[in-house]
Amino acid sequence: MSFMENLLMALSSLKAHKMRSILTMLGIIIGVGAVIIVVAIGQGGEAMLKTQITGPGNTVELFYQPSDEEIRSNPNIFLQAPFKQEDIRALDQIQEIKSIVASSTQMSSVRFQQETADVSSTGINQAYLKLNEMNVEKGRSFSTSDFLGGRRVGLVSHVIQEELFNGNNPVGKVIKMANQPIEIIGVLEKPTGLLSFSSLEVYLPFQTWRTIYGSSDYTQVTLQADSSDELQIAGKKAARLLNNMHNTEDSYQVLNMEEIAAGIGQITRIMTLIIGSIAGISLFVGGIGVMNIMLVSVTERTREIGIRMALGATRGQVLTQFLIESMTLTLIGGILGIFLGWGSASIVSFFAGWPSLISWQVVLGGVVFSMVIGVVFGLLPANKASKLDPIESLRYE
Amino acid sequence: MIQLESITKTYLLGKESVNVLDNISLIIEQGEFVAIMGPSGSGKSTLMNMIGCLDKPTTGTYTLSGENVSHYSDNELARVRNQSIGFVFQQFHLLPRLSALKNVELPMIYAGVSKSERQTRAVEALRKVGLSDRMDHLPNALSGGQKQRVAIARAIVNKPKIILADEPTGALDSKTSIDIMEQFRELNEEEGVTVIVVTHESEVAAYANRTIYVRDGMIQLLPASIKGASE
Repeated sequence: MSFMENLLMALSSLKAHKMRSILTMLGIIIGVGAVIIVVAIGQGGEAMLKTQITGPGNTVELFYQPSDEEIRSNPNIFLQAPFKQEDIRALDQIQEIKSIVASSTQMSSVRFQQETADVSSTGINQAYLKLNEMNVEKGRSFSTSDFLGGRRVGLVSHVIQEELFNGNNPVGKVIKMANQPIEIIGVLEKPTGLLSFSSLEVYLPFQTWRTIYGSSDYTQVTLQADSSDELQIAGKKAARLLNNMHNTEDSYQVLNMEEIAAGIGQITRIMTLIIGSIAGISLFVGGIGVMNIMLVSVTERTREIGIRMALGATRGQVLTQFLIESMTLTLIGGILGIFLGWGSASIVSFFAGWPSLISWQVVLGGVVFSMVIGVVFGLLPANKASKLDPIESLRYE
Repeated sequence: MIQLESITKTYLLGKESVNVLDNISLIIEQGEFVAIMGPSGSGKSTLMNMIGCLDKPTTGTYTLSGENVSHYSDNELARVRNQSIGFVFQQFHLLPRLSALKNVELPMIYAGVSKSERQTRAVEALRKVGLSDRMDHLPNALSGGQKQRVAIARAIVNKPKIILADEPTGALDSKTSIDIMEQFRELNEEEGVTVIVVTHESEVAAYANRTIYVRDGMIQLLPASIKGASE
């Protein structure tokens, strides 16, 4: 007796009890759906966190962690910018480094007419623009001549437009920073990412920043390379170089974002696993529902089983018939559950603003797993059916 | 053809063992039309189940077409039922969700017959019992006589050597009963099928060439005069 024939037979007996079949499936639909939702949202969230943390990729941040000795000899060490101009020039000689993104940030007060505000003022080099997406919503971004000429121009964050200009367009207006005039040429877009938040920020070309604040040191240096392998080498070389130049042992280090991202990925995976297991419990309960209804079905159809045996069905064939029937039930439930999970995950990620990831592995896993549930929970009822005595079964009313 | 030798069937009722069949020996030749009669509880149903390979004897030997089936496994017995025996029951025992045609196809599904051949043979069997125009009806849409004819079509579709009918007219009116019994007679005379009918109606038994009386699990040899008087 072929599989297709069993399948058609199973479908027709499920159709004979529509309401019962649908209600039984509902347990599987909700169970599979819940697992799919959890996995999809979990994977989507993990992917989003990773891109947020690592950024466009292949970058590594240099940081300065002074030793206890250094701190003791210079208590103000944290107030000083750790990277000098000659450091940058020396780093530029390392061939694995594609570009050096350097910036310096300082709190500063800004005045426009009668309004004042404390902002973080950041001087950036040209490479900074390429690495950090600084999309302007009004006006323009910096040009090469702004950097080279040290022009007195600046980009402001969206919040500044609200706080200092009462929401009016600030492009073309002149603000005072450390009593020096700066023309605003553009307003940055509101940040959209989960981890970004809007603050009062002004960005200036580094040359400009240097003349205003009288410091040529950088507080932040990020290296970029062509590949992650080259980045590893570049990071090590850079740290060694800086430690040599500053006569420090291990104070200059590299912060590898990918390692952090991997750590966070592990955390989200564990979270997904925990919530997924809870969803799995509902799938298990759904499976028990299937077993229950299949047992009822076997009892109800005792006479049918007797007739089939009298006509020559072997115990194995009866077992197969009921196994395929319960498997069909859970398979249909599983497929509907995948659609439910997919739909719900899409809705959730639409409102949460991160991608939901339904991979084909998850879909295939859902289909296979629901079939397995059908077989596992169908085994007991099917076995009961196949063990019936044909004579007793034929007499069953 | 059918040869029972010292067949005993013992059931345990609590601690007591009851011999439902007590040392029965019986031979039925190919092409016979046999009626089995007896009061209820006489063991005639058990005898029929034994002949139909639904039940195994406790002791004794059952030889069917030269095969000793007494110690066959469940799977082997299923094959024998499928290939060699056609069952007709008092309550028809059609599957209610399948059309007449699909019901007739059922034994062939278990015999592994291809789909197209199944259909051809099922149509042929239904035509033989005069139900060509009712093939797509569900059993509920058929009269009692029609249901029983579907059951007969199902019993003959695998071309078995034996048809076992358990009270085939028990749920039918007398006119329909005659039709059904005529059907059996036709199969017996024209196709040479061995027909064994279990009944308690002497009108039905009258169709048979030979009547076997069972009482208390034993075959009773009745004088011809008593048999004649009951007819």
